[in-house]
Amino acid sequence: MVRKILVRAFIGIVLIILYLPIVWMIVFSFTDTPSFEYWNGFSFQNYIDLFSGTGSNSARIQEAIVNTLFVGVFTSLLSTVLGTLGAIGLHAFRSKRLKAVYSTVNQIPMINSEIVTAIALALVFNLFASTITISNGTWGETAFKLILAHTSYCAPYVLLNVLPRLQKSDNKIYEAALDLGCTPAKAMFKVVLPDILPGIIVGAILAFTLSIDDFVITKVNVTSFETLSTLLYGLKSGKHPLPPDIRALFSIIFFIVFVLIMIIYSPKKKSEQKS
Amino acid sequence: MFKKLLATPYALFMLLFVLLPIVMIAVYAFTDAEGAIDLIGNFKDLANEPALGKVIKNSIIAGLSTAVICLLIGYPIAYYLTKAEFNRTGVLIGLFLVPMWVNFLLRMMSTKAVFNALDIEMGMGTVIFGLCYEFLPFMIMPIYTTIQKIDKSLIEGATDLGATPTKAFWKVTVPLSLPGVLSGLTMVVIPSITTFAVTEILSNGKLMLLGDFIYQLKAYNLNMASAISFVLMVLLGISMIITNRFNKDDAKGGGLW
Repeated sequence: MVRKILVRAFIGIVLIILYLPIVWMIVFSFTDTPSFEYWNGFSFQNYIDLFSGTGSNSARIQEAIVNTLFVGVFTSLLSTVLGTLGAIGLHAFRSKRLKAVYSTVNQIPMINSEIVTAIALALVFNLFASTITISNGTWGETAFKLILAHTSYCAPYVLLNVLPRLQKSDNKIYEAALDLGCTPAKAMFKVVLPDILPGIIVGAILAFTLSIDDFVITKVNVTSFETLSTLLYGLKSGKHPLPPDIRALFSIIFFIVFVLIMIIYSPKKKSEQKS
Repeated sequence: MFKKLLATPYALFMLLFVLLPIVMIAVYAFTDAEGAIDLIGNFKDLANEPALGKVIKNSIIAGLSTAVICLLIGYPIAYYLTKAEFNRTGVLIGLFLVPMWVNFLLRMMSTKAVFNALDIEMGMGTVIFGLCYEFLPFMIMPIYTTIQKIDKSLIEGATDLGATPTKAFWKVTVPLSLPGVLSGLTMVVIPSITTFAVTEILSNGKLMLLGDFIYQLKAYNLNMASAISFVLMVLLGISMIITNRFNKDDAKGGGLW
């Protein structure tokens, strides 16, 4: 009995420490003091500033949101297409060696240190820039570069989410569709894709979350392109690292991320319950 | 055949943006600034770099402390969360994983703001706190999955044969969970010493770990940055091979001892 209470207390304390900074930030998003040191009365002022664009960081926040969402959405789309095709192909391979090589390469971006991945990508972009001379200036080119970099890091997660769905689905239905006169492409869209769709959706959400969260790859590979992460990094040296409108913004983002994670985890639980 | 062909776009993409980058790291690590082959030059330069010694010392202190603290906190949590009496619905383990998905800069900045508000001096202690904060879930996850997979009848067998629950824990559960501990350590040590920005934020720029060092080096000497990256990739490769070997043994049913 004593042991049980002690264990509960231990788990509780660790959870409290884990969530303290986040909760503290959310609480202080409802008061407009510059720092976390004193409470200046409850108000929605930070949120009003955020949405009306009158906060001290409004211009930067707007730019960062647009950039982050743009890169996130296109990274998610590209990763989902590539990762899903890759998973279908990998699943169809007969050769064990080919399978092993394909899945090992798929694992590299997931286990490699982020800073190493980031520098390696920078070297490749240097190479491309010197051989096919893309200039490095315009917004579109920077965004494109970042989408490619993020995709190389996000697509493997899509593949790993689609693969289990393929392993569970029955290949005979696809073959039956071919026997009944479907072209392979049509059978793919009519039979295989609907079957693995839940895995694809989870993969797409995951890729999006990873992309909007990324800092290291973004920071190393692009300059003068503000994302939510680089915006935060830019505020690091101030005496008050999280100004009021930034607290409001990230409290909202925390809520969205929380909901997205619940969506990601819930279908898994259901399938576990079935099996 | 059609399905196999679908693997090509992804294969081409990975060739360009995963394999080629790694080859480029190796190329830069073993050439000099003019592109001439120089097998040891960059490593020599690194050895002569005055700042590197301190960075490595800090990295070892921070990496080891983070690993030990994460293990001491993470193992009991993983162990008790596999027990139904503490984690009936599986929600608790989820709560430990959620912070992983919150932007780490945000977590570090709010940690800094909390420390500022509490008037805590920034330094190695706060850096280690931040690293533990960031990497604790990566320790809990693999240990939790490994303990969950342990055949409960082994523990019952041990107690039936006269072992006390404590003895059964040390003689059965702990040895069988070591592969999880090992992958937990791999997922904590190398990422924690190569994170970049955490140290800077939580020590007010006073300390530098390998990740920050590589980032700074990248600005003026790509060859040296590549050389360190190359060493890190080799270390990571070795630790992955070791972890995989233990996990394979585990799959065959044998433990470590």
